[in-house]
Amino acid sequence: MITVFKHTLSRSRGAIIGWGLTMLLIGLMMVMFFDSIAENAAQFQQLIDIYPPEMMAFFSESGAFDFTTPEGFLSIEYFSFMPLILGVYAILSGSGMLAADEERGVLDLVAAQPISRSALFLGRLLSIVVALVLILVLGYVGIMAGTSYSTMELDPLVLLVPFTSMFALLAFLAGLALLLSMVLPSRGMAGMVGGIVLIASFFLNGLANLNDTLAKVEPFLPTRYYQGEGWVAGLRMDWFLGLLAFGLGFMLLAWWAFQLRDIRVGGEGSWRLPFLRRKVAADS
Amino acid sequence: MDKKNNAAIVAKGLTKFYGSFQALHGVDLTVDREEIFGFLGPNGAGKTTTIRVLLDLIRRDGGDVQVLGIDPRVDPVAVRRRIGYMPGELHLDQGLTAEALLRYFNDLRGRAAKWADVLRLAERLALDIKQPIKNLSHGNKQKVGIVQALMHKPELVIMDEPTQGLDPMMQHEVLRMLKEARAAGSTVFFSSHIMSEVESVAQRVGIIRAGRMIEVADPKTLGRRALNRVRVRFGKPVESADLAKVKGVKILSQENGKEIRLQVEGEVDGLIKALAKFSVSDFETERPSLEETFLTYYQDGAK
Repeated sequence: MITVFKHTLSRSRGAIIGWGLTMLLIGLMMVMFFDSIAENAAQFQQLIDIYPPEMMAFFSESGAFDFTTPEGFLSIEYFSFMPLILGVYAILSGSGMLAADEERGVLDLVAAQPISRSALFLGRLLSIVVALVLILVLGYVGIMAGTSYSTMELDPLVLLVPFTSMFALLAFLAGLALLLSMVLPSRGMAGMVGGIVLIASFFLNGLANLNDTLAKVEPFLPTRYYQGEGWVAGLRMDWFLGLLAFGLGFMLLAWWAFQLRDIRVGGEGSWRLPFLRRKVAADS
Repeated sequence: MDKKNNAAIVAKGLTKFYGSFQALHGVDLTVDREEIFGFLGPNGAGKTTTIRVLLDLIRRDGGDVQVLGIDPRVDPVAVRRRIGYMPGELHLDQGLTAEALLRYFNDLRGRAAKWADVLRLAERLALDIKQPIKNLSHGNKQKVGIVQALMHKPELVIMDEPTQGLDPMMQHEVLRMLKEARAAGSTVFFSSHIMSEVESVAQRVGIIRAGRMIEVADPKTLGRRALNRVRVRFGKPVESADLAKVKGVKILSQENGKEIRLQVEGEVDGLIKALAKFSVSDFETERPSLEETFLTYYQDGAK
């Protein structure tokens, strides 16, 4: 498992550097803008006040903003949309963990080596988790580094809260995409369904702040349990553990599906849902 | 030790479905240790499916399998540790060099292969392992597959169409490697759809068609059934009926009695002797594909 983990992480280093540096630079840049925005907070507030409430609902549950506080500023300018961006990475990683290599025919030879399916699965899953953590760490470093060039004061421990919450949401999305890739006919379809869940959840979550009917579906939306604002008050463990538990549940189901199914190469028929496997006795 | 315990591969009543399509219909197969067993069949016959079941890459729907005395469903890792496998549809990670890929596979094997052996195999196949895989030709990728299958000197070598995409010299070299592996105590089980290739190295040949094992025979027996297509040009017109009387000969076409196309099942010796009494100006032979041979010989599923 360790060999698979190290190999997969090494193969992901380009993605980690690319996504991580992007996160770092966005964080750095946003924090460096803080002073100039805080200086002109009144004008910004006027600007925000003329935005339709439907739009602002996507950035805050309460619809109220305070640009002059680090939490208010970062919640709007960084944490509100970051799960949407990193969610794409998580979905691509999860859906491609095994299915991408399988569709390229590469998995066949790897799985023929003396390694169990569980070790292959866990080694790759661990590398995805570590890659997500590294990208988030780079994002965290970017914000903390930005405070050296601005008057923004942040408690390093408090800043861990939104990143920890974001990790739980990303684990949920990666797990969901992984499970979908094990039961749907292609990686592309798994990515598409995962993407629809992410985008629909993001928008419905925002609109639920304005519409009572939509508010009824809000408890079923994963983004509902992401703490992109109100993080100064501390981590909501029920939300964090709930997302993580669902993410782990999806991963467990994906592991189970991977144990049961055939490893596909081109021209050998299509995938089947594991619970529809034909039980046929030996016919001779 | 009874035959079953001495066998490298024993499959009984192997069945496999892809959805509603049945790919294997109760395949029975025994491959003895330290033999080279050729697994012949036309495209789509079930060769690759059988091989992938043996490695537990796909799951059988029925039947029993023992590979080196182990059921691959029960302990696939133990089976694969003792096997060197090369798939028929070889796809390699394009982002690595051949060396990085071979090192990765060797690490997965707990470094069972000595690196000097890897280099020796690569040298024999004229493979530059420093090259990125994406820059390698189809034939060179095939060589990477062969090296990774043989590098750890496995007890059982399973290769699916190992020589496809290689030039004739390299095909010869690979077949020599298989013979050497057998001489060193390995069992070799390889599939092919090239009759002559199997004839040259295998002790026994299994024939599979439409998911059923039709026959297991020695290559000579099979060779006797092989089809040859012959075109003969004569100096003077001849009566084709004279040639049609020769055992195993079937007249396919003729032009004014001066050019005759025939099909010969098995050896052409009888035909040559029959032709000796005519003035022959040209003589060409062509061996039909295995598919054609199968369609002709096994057309009714009969032996």
